[in-house]
Formats: sequence, C-alpha cells, structure tokens
Amino acid sequence: MAKDSKLRVLVGTRKGTYIVEGDARRKQWKVGPRAHAGSDVYHVVADPRHPGDVYAAVNNTFWGPAIQRSRDWGKTWKEIATPLTPNAKARKAQVAAATESLPKWAINNLWHIEPGHPSESKTLYLGADPHLLFRTTDLGESWEGIESINHHPDKPKWSPGAGGACLHTILLDPRDARRLYVGMSAVGTFRSEDGGATWTPTNKGVETPFLPEKFPETGQCVHDVVADAADPDTFYRQDHGGMYVSHDRMDTWVRIGKPLGDDFGFTVGSPSATPGKAYFVRLDGEARVTGEGHFQVHEWTDKTRKWRKLLSPKAFVGHYGVQREGLATDHMDPPGIYVGTTTGQLFISPDAGKTWKLIPFDFPGIHSVEVANSPRA
Amino acid sequence: MIEVHLDSWLRSFGPPSNESVEADSVAHLLDELERRYPRLRFKLRDETGQLRKYVRVFVDGADISGTTGVATLLSGARSIDILHSIAGG
Repeated sequence: MAKDSKLRVLVGTRKGTYIVEGDARRKQWKVGPRAHAGSDVYHVVADPRHPGDVYAAVNNTFWGPAIQRSRDWGKTWKEIATPLTPNAKARKAQVAAATESLPKWAINNLWHIEPGHPSESKTLYLGADPHLLFRTTDLGESWEGIESINHHPDKPKWSPGAGGACLHTILLDPRDARRLYVGMSAVGTFRSEDGGATWTPTNKGVETPFLPEKFPETGQCVHDVVADAADPDTFYRQDHGGMYVSHDRMDTWVRIGKPLGDDFGFTVGSPSATPGKAYFVRLDGEARVTGEGHFQVHEWTDKTRKWRKLLSPKAFVGHYGVQREGLATDHMDPPGIYVGTTTGQLFISPDAGKTWKLIPFDFPGIHSVEVANSPRA
Repeated sequence: MIEVHLDSWLRSFGPPSNESVEADSVAHLLDELERRYPRLRFKLRDETGQLRKYVRVFVDGADISGTTGVATLLSGARSIDILHSIAGG
C-alpha cells in the first residue's frame, strides 16, 4: 500500500481498536476506523517497513487472545497466526488431533508487537503473558518461541505484576539486529547480543521497594522503557521503583525521578526529533492517577539533568490514569506527544508540549497509543 | 448423533446453523467441531484443552462447564448448547 500524507494515532482500548486520523500539520483530527469491538486491545502498532500494515494484540474475554492484522490502515482486519505456549504448534498452522501433547498452561494475554529490524523485513516480535517472547520471520504466518526466555532456568522464580506476567517491552538496536532488549513485570529488563539465544539481566541500580532486597539482579517491576533516538545506548525507564536513565546499554541505571518526589508512573516516550529528551507521566504511587489534580507530563532533558512540567495546573483538571503503552511520540519536528488515559481521553500536543488539545471523543479506557505514518516513520 | 447449538457469536467462527456430531465425550465432540470449522479452535478451549473461562457448555440442559468439563461423557446425550457466559462491563 502506498504511503499517504495522513498521520495516524493507533489507539488500543478496553473495547476495541480505534484509528485517529490527522492531517500533516496535526491540526485536524478525525476518529476513523474502529475494529475489534468488545475486545481488550493491549497494543496496536504499524509496521513502518510495510506502509498500511497495522497489527493489534487483541485479547477477548470469551474467546482468548488473537493477533489481527490490517493491510489498509485499519479499514479491514484479519486474524493471522497466533502463537501458542511453548511446545505447541502455531495456532493456524494445522488442526491437530486432541491426542497431541498439550502444554500445561495457556497464553493469558498478548501484550506487545514489535516490528523487526529494517534489515529483516518479515520479522516481528511478540511479548505475551506468562513471560513469553515469540518471533516470526514470515510476517505472522508462523511463530517460533524464543526458548531462552520461555524456558529460562529462573522462570519458576519470576513473579507477575498486577497486570499479569507480562512481557511488555521489546526494543531493537537500530545498529545491530542481533541486539535485543526485553522488559517483563515483575522480572526486570534483559539484553541479548546474539539474536535472543542468551540474555543478561540489566537492572543494576534499579530499586525494588516491594522486595526485602533493595537492589536484586532481577525482580524489578519495570513498567516501560524507550531508547533515545540519537543514542541507542541510552534508555529511559519508568519502573515501579521510579524513573531512571541508562547510558550504557542498560548495564547500569541512575535514578532521575527523585526531584519529582513520588516518581511512580507507567509510561515514557522519547521522540526522534529531540534526542536527549524523555517524557514521563508521573502518577501518585498509591492512587495510580495524576496526583496533582490535573493532567501533567514531565519533560526530562538528559544533557542538563533538568525536569520541566509541560502543562498548566488549570489546563485539564482531574485525576487521570495512564498505562504503560499510553504515551507515544511522532517523528516530526517539533515532535508530537500523544497520551491516552484509562478513562478514555486522548491528549495531543503537536509542538513538544507547548500546547495541548483533547480529542473531542470519549474512548473506552485506553491501553495503548502509537503513531503511524509520520513523515520519518 | 448429538445436536449442537451454538450462540450467534460463535456462529461467526463455526456452523451457521445447528450441527449434528457423533462423539462419546465433550472433548471429542469439540475435536470434531474444530476439525470441521478450524476457526473455532482455541476460541472454546485454550492450549491446555480446557474450556475457556467464559465458555459454557450444557449437555441436555445441564451445565458441565464448572464440573466434569470436557471430560464429560455423552452416552445417551441428545443435545449440546455452547454459549458464552455473562461477563464483561
């Protein structure tokens, strides 16, 4: 499908997928195609290597999880192969007899779909609960389990977070397709230098206030991690235990959120047009909503190590929850920032946080926000 | 032969109307249904072979979902209703 000039915000909600279409100036927005009505959609993402391709991690209360793909920017969708638990064959590959060896547990939810490295045009990664990582090399016709994660020797000791045993973060090094990072709740982050064959825990410096040991090797409840667009060795991390930065491929982490007081939250973003900046939505650690009584986004400037609040307290009064996939940025300059809330508001700033607009549509509770088809996507 | 009734949601994955199936257990009946209608696979049961949490199966009007489940024997059974339960919000 040919690329067009529309900017699209892909919204996964408690009751389906929504595509919000905007013009290139990011002034006019229209809530466009809707799909998967009634299903929890944990993540919707476009594949920048194949314009028009959009994937959704659809979790239906009744019929279980399924991966859906659109090849026309969300106008029509089709269920593609969905992986099974380790040892089971790809869901759509064949209809096996009941006598086949069945796994002892099932996939609970699909959490994150990550398009592969640009040099691997048919590769996708999928994170799922319970602590599962899959890869396809044929755009979802079949899936292979990454056994080094799925059968990790420490897995019996891994605990779930409140949202489940989710593998929710998958990051690729743009310089090297074999370098991968994953984040799991409540296990922490891991790095692989060999395409997922082996993994090293990367949680040094991240506190675990909910465990007896303050700085264990694993057991961190990582909520979200993004890479800095200009420096693939730099990462910004929102953890249960605060906000962090790493400048050494996650070997060590430094807590940056303490000046904010309570630096709890779920989501973080870092736009490519303004490297060295990260955007966090700070939440009250107990209430899990914006504790200041209004919508707020905090901007971190890594060079100066300074925080800045982007919104006036009078702008959007209320208590807003934002989940781990709830913040996205586009590739334009100045960057756009997009935040979806658990009560269905979609906030958009087209100018790096100077001005904000609330899309005049009440969505179901928002799980995820992604941006597609911005000029550099 | 056992007459299988699916609710309207399930008919989008399975037979458009009632279906006759011969089977000696619920598990085997579902195997046969899934063989005929592959899109039903993993909608009713997860990878472990157990009924999904909100799928209800009634054998001659008796709900077996929370009791004997897929192991329920169908000797003498005449009808099966497969429905989705009350849930959501």
